[in-house]
Amino acid sequence: MAAKKYDDPELNAKLGNRRYHTTDTNPEFTQNVLDISRTIANMCYQCGTCTGSCPSAPRSSYRIRLFMRRAVLGLEDEALTDPDLWLCTTCYSCTDRCPRGIAPTDVIMAMRNLAFKRDIIPRNFLKTVQLIYKTGHGVPNNDVNRAARVKLGLDADPPTTHSYPEFIPGIQKIIDHFDMKQNADRILEGE
Amino acid sequence: MHEYAFFLGCIAPNRYPGCEAAAIKTSEKVGIKLLPLKGGSCCPAPGAFGSIDLAVWYAMAARNVCLAEEMKKDITLICNGCYKSIYEVNHILKHNDDLKDKVNEVLAEIDMEFKGSQDVWHLAELYYDPKICGVQKIRDSVTTPLTGAKVAVHYGCHLMKPQKERHFGDTENPMWLEELVDALGCESVQYRNKMQCCGAGGGVRGYDLTHSLDITNEKMINLQEVGADALTEVCPFCQLQYDRGQVEIQETFGVSYNLPVLHYNELLGLAQGMSPQDLALDLHAIDCTPFLKKVL
Repeated sequence: MAAKKYDDPELNAKLGNRRYHTTDTNPEFTQNVLDISRTIANMCYQCGTCTGSCPSAPRSSYRIRLFMRRAVLGLEDEALTDPDLWLCTTCYSCTDRCPRGIAPTDVIMAMRNLAFKRDIIPRNFLKTVQLIYKTGHGVPNNDVNRAARVKLGLDADPPTTHSYPEFIPGIQKIIDHFDMKQNADRILEGE
Repeated sequence: MHEYAFFLGCIAPNRYPGCEAAAIKTSEKVGIKLLPLKGGSCCPAPGAFGSIDLAVWYAMAARNVCLAEEMKKDITLICNGCYKSIYEVNHILKHNDDLKDKVNEVLAEIDMEFKGSQDVWHLAELYYDPKICGVQKIRDSVTTPLTGAKVAVHYGCHLMKPQKERHFGDTENPMWLEELVDALGCESVQYRNKMQCCGAGGGVRGYDLTHSLDITNEKMINLQEVGADALTEVCPFCQLQYDRGQVEIQETFGVSYNLPVLHYNELLGLAQGMSPQDLALDLHAIDCTPFLKKVL
């Protein structure tokens, strides 16, 4: 059925344009989320199985279904500035149960990646980057643990970058390739 | 003897070294030899690192796989978080040439190349796989059956989910870990919402500890309901969340459960006659003595 015609030519143009977005929306956001997540959020028919499966939903205002809609509509600012974005435990229950075969968890991961590009990120994530850059480990060894390891007959330091620090420059090169450490330092300093 | 490159990750070697020691010793008794993967780093943490930039996550995980490719060995590991990073990146890069080329561009800067020549396995799935070990071999290796204890199982999320990118099948009510637990002489128990997340993943433990503990607390309530004597899992990060988490739950919500939490390798170690000292069970925040008294 053809769209109803109104007197207002501007309104008619809007109604005729099937890719019309309001001023709040950014169609590129939908595409960026798709590119990073490699899952098609547009397939979502808003059934809510994801929110129903989510361990974070019953104890917060985090609603994964809402983020799916934001991805489809391109509501970039609304999605990326919502602190609930960081309450996903990435348990993938929603992904396994989605009747449309979408991976909502990966949509969240993509949005977090895009948030970082705008310097929106909780500090604990940045601390992990700094630790990995320095030691190769997100959770480095300590003296209590070294003593326990020796008691068990293990080397005080595991045979990872802790025992082979010559591998650390390579790791730093990978991280520097993406300027990740530099950005993490800058964001933490700016606080 | 099946030989594997043993990828350690962070939390097992640096917080629960008993898991590492147990894995090396227990696997040897069932025909699996773990060789050190020299120069391995953080996997890197799929939640914390992947949330920031997936491109770096791919490259960092691929570097760890490359180390094993140089050894010409498949990787095995004992942590679900590491499994997500190492298994999934290996799997994706093998099937996506575009991504593989992008990753190799970065790895070329440090004279490495991802070839996709090796596979990645969780040690628990090797234990269950009859071609490598199998439940019967585990049962035969037991010298001190852990009779008289009810042990609940936590599978963790990243081992089996997302189902599409794994090979385990059903993720709603799997039973294979229970079979491995029953083989040790103890009785596995079912509890409500068994497959629910421990609450630690995705950087949530660092971002909002109370929120994360609240999820754990729900699991603890369900575990208490069925009278479990211990909880076993196959992920040191889940172990950290349940073990240290119980202390934090006591501080935050004022409830205590005192439920011992043991990695499956630690449990297997006990059943194969290793002493609690050999497994560094004294490093656990929750005292394992009540459970040990019951079974030893």
